Amino acid sequence: MTDHTAVVLLLGVALALAPATIDAGTYRSVDEQGNVTYSDRPPQPEQTRAPAPEATPVPEGKVPDDARPALGAKARDVKAPAPPTAIARTGPTKVDELLELSGARAQLVGLLSGLAGELRPAPGQMSAKDQASVDRILRQALRHEAVFALVRDAFLLQVDRTNLEATAAWLRSPLARKIVALEIASSEPGTEQKVAAYAATIKTNPPTNRRVELLQRLDWATAGTEISADLVAAVSRGITMAVSGAGPAEQQLRPGQIEDRVAQVRARANGALREAHMASTLYTYHGLEDEELAAYVLFSASEAGRWYNSAMRKAMVSALGRAVEQTAAELVRAVPVDRWARATTAAPQPVK
Amino acid sequence: MTTHAMRALASAIALTLCTALGAATQERPAPAAPSSDLDRAQAAFQAGRHAEALASARRAADAAPTSVRALTARAGMAEFMGEFDEAQTFYDRAAGLAPDDAETIYRTASFTVRVGEYDRALTQLDRLLALHPRHVRWLFQWAPTRFQAALLRDHPSLERIVQIKLDILTEKGDLEQARRLARAHAIVQPGQNYCAQARARAGAERDEVFKAFRLATLGQPDAADCIWWYGQWLSDEGYVRLGRLMVIEGSRATASPANKESGARYVRIRLGGNREVPKRAEQLFLIARQRYLRDGDINGASRLFDESIRLAPAFARPYNYRAMIAADLGDREGAMAWLQRALRADPDSWRTHRNLGRLFETLERYPEAEMHLRKTVQLFGDDAGGRLALARVLYAQGKYDDFAKEARAAVAFLANWRAPVPEVRDFLAKFDRWGPGAALPPAPDPHVIMGWNYD
Repeated sequence: MTDHTAVVLLLGVALALAPATIDAGTYRSVDEQGNVTYSDRPPQPEQTRAPAPEATPVPEGKVPDDARPALGAKARDVKAPAPPTAIARTGPTKVDELLELSGARAQLVGLLSGLAGELRPAPGQMSAKDQASVDRILRQALRHEAVFALVRDAFLLQVDRTNLEATAAWLRSPLARKIVALEIASSEPGTEQKVAAYAATIKTNPPTNRRVELLQRLDWATAGTEISADLVAAVSRGITMAVSGAGPAEQQLRPGQIEDRVAQVRARANGALREAHMASTLYTYHGLEDEELAAYVLFSASEAGRWYNSAMRKAMVSALGRAVEQTAAELVRAVPVDRWARATTAAPQPVK
Repeated sequence: MTTHAMRALASAIALTLCTALGAATQERPAPAAPSSDLDRAQAAFQAGRHAEALASARRAADAAPTSVRALTARAGMAEFMGEFDEAQTFYDRAAGLAPDDAETIYRTASFTVRVGEYDRALTQLDRLLALHPRHVRWLFQWAPTRFQAALLRDHPSLERIVQIKLDILTEKGDLEQARRLARAHAIVQPGQNYCAQARARAGAERDEVFKAFRLATLGQPDAADCIWWYGQWLSDEGYVRLGRLMVIEGSRATASPANKESGARYVRIRLGGNREVPKRAEQLFLIARQRYLRDGDINGASRLFDESIRLAPAFARPYNYRAMIAADLGDREGAMAWLQRALRADPDSWRTHRNLGRLFETLERYPEAEMHLRKTVQLFGDDAGGRLALARVLYAQGKYDDFAKEARAAVAFLANWRAPVPEVRDFLAKFDRWGPGAALPPAPDPHVIMGWNYD
C-alpha cells in the first residue's frame, strides 16, 4: 500500500470480503445496493460496480470515533474516497480478504484502464475495423477480474500466515483505510493533471523537510519506485514477447535478447519514476498528517510490511506480465504487426 | 497505479512498441547481385554475414574445384568460422594445385600455427623462404641487423616469415629465442620504450594493442609489469595459452615476492592453472565466442564450444559460455548444469563461481548464491563487482551487518579506482539512516581491473 506503486497502491481500501474459496473462474458482483453475489459467468457491465473506483467523501458515520485519526487542516480539505466497508472477522484472514482490504482490486481497475489507454492507438490511425478489434480485445483481455484472479493466484504462493494476519490487522485500522482510500483516488484516471497542478502549488508552498523525509523513507520501506519499474518491465516484456513471437522464426528474439531490451526499458523508466516520485507522493498523501504518514512508514518497515510488499510485488509483476503478454499476443494476431507499425509511425508517442 | 508510474508506463510502452515493431517489420536489405559465388562470398563477408559468406564460398569451390582462388577462399572462410577440418582440406587442395604459390603457402602456414601444429608450420615457412632468390635468402639469414629493416620492407613475405616464427617461438615458450630473432631482424630496436607505447594505446583497436604489447614483450624483457599486463589483456581477450605464458613470464621477471605469488594465483584461478588447453581447443573457443556474441549464431557456436570441450575437458571457459547460451534461451536449469560441469572441470575457476553465484541469485536461491559468491571473493579479493553481488545476496537473506561490511569494502575499493558507484553509496546512506528497506541493493559490476573483465 503505497501511493504511487501499483503494488503498494494495491494495498488499501477495505471492501466487502470475498471468500478465499472462490476460484479463478468465479465472478463476484456488487449491485447498487451493495449486495454481493457470485457467479461462474462474468458480470455484465451494468451489473458490476468496481470496488470503490470513484472518489466519494468518507461517510463519517462509518468510521468509529475512537479510530478516527485527528485530521489537520490539510486532511480536512481532502475529499477522500470511501474506504472499504469494515469487514467482520470470523476466523483467519483469507487472501481474498487481504487483497480486498488492500485496495488491490480497485487500484487494478485504474491500472488496467490506463494500460488499455496506452495500448490503444490514437483515433484515426487504424482502420475502423482494426480499431474495433483492438477495442474488443482490450476490453476482454484486460478485464480487471481476470487479472485480479492472476494476482491472487500469484499472491497465494507467497502466503505467510503470521505476516498476513499482522498486515490484515493494519489494513483494518482506520488509518490504513484512510490511506488506501487516498491511494485509490490517486490511481484513477486524470490524476496526472492533479499532480501537475499540485506540483505547481508546492513551488510557492514547499513541503517541510520532515514531510519530504517521511516520503523518502516510505519509498525506501516499500520500494515503491522499484515496484513501479518492475511493472513497467513486465509490460515491456509482455509486449516484446508477443510482437517477437508473431514474426517469422528467424527474426524472433531469444529470451536473453528480450531480457536485454526489457532491462533497457526498465532503466529508463526507473529514471523517470525517480524524478516524478516526490511530486506524486506529496500529492497522494497530502491529506495525511505527518504522524499518520509516520505510522504508515512504521508499518511498511515492519516485518509484516516488508513481507506484504514483497509478496504483492511478485504477484503484481507476474499477473500483469501474463495479462499483457496474452493481450499483446491477441492484438498482433488480430491486427498484424505491420499495420501496428504503420499506426505507431503515423502517431509517434513521446518517449520521455 | 498512480500518476508517475503510469507516465513511465506510457513511455515504456511507446518505446517497446517502437523498438519491437521496428525490428519486426524491418525490411531485409536488398541482396547485392555480384557476378559469382566468390564475389557473393566476399560481399557477404564484408557485410558481416559470415554464415552466408561461407555458404557462397563453398558453392564457389564446388563449382570450380581447380580454382586456387576459390579453394583458398573457401579454406579461409572455413578457418574464420572455426570449421578447421574443412579449412585444412581446402588449403591442402589449393597447395596441391599451386605448390609454389607464396600466398597459399603463407596462409596455410598461418592456419597451421592457429591449430598449434608448429613443426608443420615451420616446414611451410622453409618452403616459403625457398621461393625467394638466393641472394635475398642469404641476406635474410646473414646480413647484419642494420640491413634487415630495409630487407623486410622490400620483401614483405620475409617479414611474414619472421612474424610467424616469432609467434611459434613465443607460443612454444621459448621467449629468449623469440627475442633474439626479433632483434636480429630489427623487429624491435634497442632503446625504444615499447611498454609506454603500448600503454598509450589502451583503448585502441584490438590489433593495435596486441601488436604494441607484443613488441614490448619482445623488446623489453625486464618490463615485468608490462609483460604481466599483456598477459592479463590476453586473458580478457580469450587467449588463455599465451596469456598464461605472459603472466608466468611477468612473474618470473618481477623482483617482488608478492607479485610472484599474485601471478601464480592469477594463473590458477583465472587461466586454469596447469590444465592442458590445446591450441586448437582455445581457437575453437575464441571463434565460437565470436559466432555467438557477434553473429548470434547459437547452433554454430554451441557446436564449436562442444568441440572445444571435447578437446580440452578441463577448460572452464567454454562450459561457461554454454551456460550463457542456455540462459539466453531461457533454460536456467540447463545453464546451471553447464556451470556445475565447469566447476567439476576446474574447481578453482573464479569466473565459474561468480557466474554460479549470480545465477543462483536470479533464481532467489540465496544460500547457494552466497556460498559461490563468498568463494568468488575469497579467490579474488579485489573483485568489487563480485563483492557487491555477495552483499546483495546477504541483504536478501536479512544478513544486514554482513551486507554492510561487504558493500562498504567494495565501495571503498572502487573509490580508489575512480569508480564511485553512487547508487550503492546512496543505498548505504539510506540503510544507515533508516535500516533495511524493501528493495534489494544495487549490485553494479564495474570493469576496473584489466584481466578480470571478460572470458
